[in-house]
Amino acid sequence: MARRAWIAAGLAVAFGVSAFLLHDHEGASASFSALTGFALGVVFQRSDFCFASGVRDLVRARRRRMALGILAALAAGTLGYAVVFGLQMPDPTGAYVPPTAFIARAGWHVVLGGFAFGAGMGIAGNCVSTSLFRIGEGSLAGPLTLAGAIVGFVLGYRAWPFLWSHAVATAPTVWIPHHVGYAAALAIQLALLAALALVVLWKCPPEPTVAAEPATPAVVVRRIFVERWPAWIGGVLVGLIATAAYLRTRPLGVTEELGRLARAWSGTVRLDGLDQIAGCTSSVQRGLGDNGWLVLSLVWGSLCAAIAAGQFRMKLAPARIYVRALAGGVLLGFGAMISVGCSIGVLLSGVMAMSLHGWIFAAAMVAGVWMTERVLPRG
Amino acid sequence: MRLLIALALAALAAPILAQDALVTTEWVAQHAADPSVRILEVSVDPGVYEKGHVKGAVGVKWHSELADPVRRDIVSRDAFVANCQRWGIAKDTTVVLYGDNNNWFAAWGYWIFATYGHANVKLMDGGRVKWELEKRPWDLAIPAPAPTQYTVDKVATDLRVRLADVTAAVEKKSAVLVDVRSPDEFTGKVIAPPGVQELAIRAGHIPGAKNVPWKQAVKDDGTFKPVEELRKLYADAGADGSKPIITYCRIGERSSHSWFVLKELLGYDDVRNYDGSWTEYGNAVGVPIENEAGTVWTGK
Repeated sequence: MARRAWIAAGLAVAFGVSAFLLHDHEGASASFSALTGFALGVVFQRSDFCFASGVRDLVRARRRRMALGILAALAAGTLGYAVVFGLQMPDPTGAYVPPTAFIARAGWHVVLGGFAFGAGMGIAGNCVSTSLFRIGEGSLAGPLTLAGAIVGFVLGYRAWPFLWSHAVATAPTVWIPHHVGYAAALAIQLALLAALALVVLWKCPPEPTVAAEPATPAVVVRRIFVERWPAWIGGVLVGLIATAAYLRTRPLGVTEELGRLARAWSGTVRLDGLDQIAGCTSSVQRGLGDNGWLVLSLVWGSLCAAIAAGQFRMKLAPARIYVRALAGGVLLGFGAMISVGCSIGVLLSGVMAMSLHGWIFAAAMVAGVWMTERVLPRG
Repeated sequence: MRLLIALALAALAAPILAQDALVTTEWVAQHAADPSVRILEVSVDPGVYEKGHVKGAVGVKWHSELADPVRRDIVSRDAFVANCQRWGIAKDTTVVLYGDNNNWFAAWGYWIFATYGHANVKLMDGGRVKWELEKRPWDLAIPAPAPTQYTVDKVATDLRVRLADVTAAVEKKSAVLVDVRSPDEFTGKVIAPPGVQELAIRAGHIPGAKNVPWKQAVKDDGTFKPVEELRKLYADAGADGSKPIITYCRIGERSSHSWFVLKELLGYDDVRNYDGSWTEYGNAVGVPIENEAGTVWTGK
């Protein structure tokens, strides 16, 4: 076995032991969040699952690979969520929405947030989740994007009181199953995803096909651990992981812990509409929250997968890459804060939950990327 | 002699009465399918019930189903009736409540059921903590109870006090006030625990109140301490049943937990919950306050 395989295996075992110990020290949900993060990191790295490249490749080069992967993730997750919803809330037409799903108000703040997020993606070349798994691949721009995102979050907190009064507070929460029932909601959403996939297939040329070769053990190992997976396989796995996370802990999201850091750092005390009545529970968290474990484990999972594949590389890029990573990060953070989530929390977890705000975010985000592709030099 | 026998009988009956308001996890597990029993989970954190609950339990949303969502008050009589009908509760149904966080909000639910005169209501001792410690399974299926007819015949007015009653009791020293918050909230070092949104303008406690943090009433496994231990705990603070007792905390939920101990486990006759609690009293104008920590209001 190659040396890099031993290193990756060692790191994976170390993660397993850590997750086991985490269960005893921080509880089952922390441990489960860590396992979820690790799985996501592996799947993201192996399939190169990236929202930024999904949209950019489509706009710039008519490459359809990642866009189809994202649509596959949304379709798989929609089905998974529907299964859980049907159990938790047999009749969706009542006065409530599933309590922990990311179903949120659909107002113009989501348009602004999605557009800013898309522009940030275009400038940085990464979104938040991609920055995380690229860190596992040795990216030096990733940490800068995250640092920029923290600044963006603080700007978002500054803007929030205005947005809350003028957009958010009166915006309706539109949960599609509430209006049409599960069957029709599923039909609408899957039909929409299928239509988008058809447009992508129609507008873009086919990807080069991989030559068929006999499935010897060496070939199978290479295909799994070295070559990138087909994006749709990554997408379906992301949909499965998202469903498991929603069922056991919380819907997937990668900006909660970043937002908490930014909030603590900026001393933001009160945010109307975001801080709900806490009852008697104290919402102050000591140490790392579940989302923090998820994010760290995502980087770790990506690192294992990248090392195994020989795709871990640290090398300096031209300075403008870092400037763009940082500046784009600010827009990513700002957009994620005012939409209360990013391409994972709002786009993936929102659309899977059949919440209208997820779709609005998706459309605005694509527009944001498209705009930067038009305006900015390619870098 | 007859008096002695009566007293002895009363002494024997007291623990039986006390046990009456509590059921064990084992009892609940055995009665999951009993049509005369309705199990309700009242958890503070949204989503806890949906991730797994006692088989057959109906989930209650305290924000909207036990509280009035617009004005600050307990759920209205009409809404309470409608909810009970939806939860499949009839007048003679045995209602068993449990929840997370040591049954805080389940006890609050108990107090509301008692206020609306439901005869047969119980708390599952230990709540979710005990259930999990015993490695019992959670269930995911959401029951769909057949709707029932329900009426509230009489609203109990002797379980709750308002601000005016409290200030009168302070003035006349006519009741023992039990403050169940943490010592730091009681002395006025802090207005509320960290991270809490609902605050008061002033810190401290109601004059003459005694501090018995709610947690002192429970064991590590979430169950209540033995009755005699509880009797001593509150008697040491002057709450021995010889005078009316008023319990309060910050928003009135934790104090329901201590109210339950004093009223239902110790069987004291006159125990009332002040659900306005510190977020009302500490914001009220012109009421006396004790602030031992000396965190007086300054303009600095």
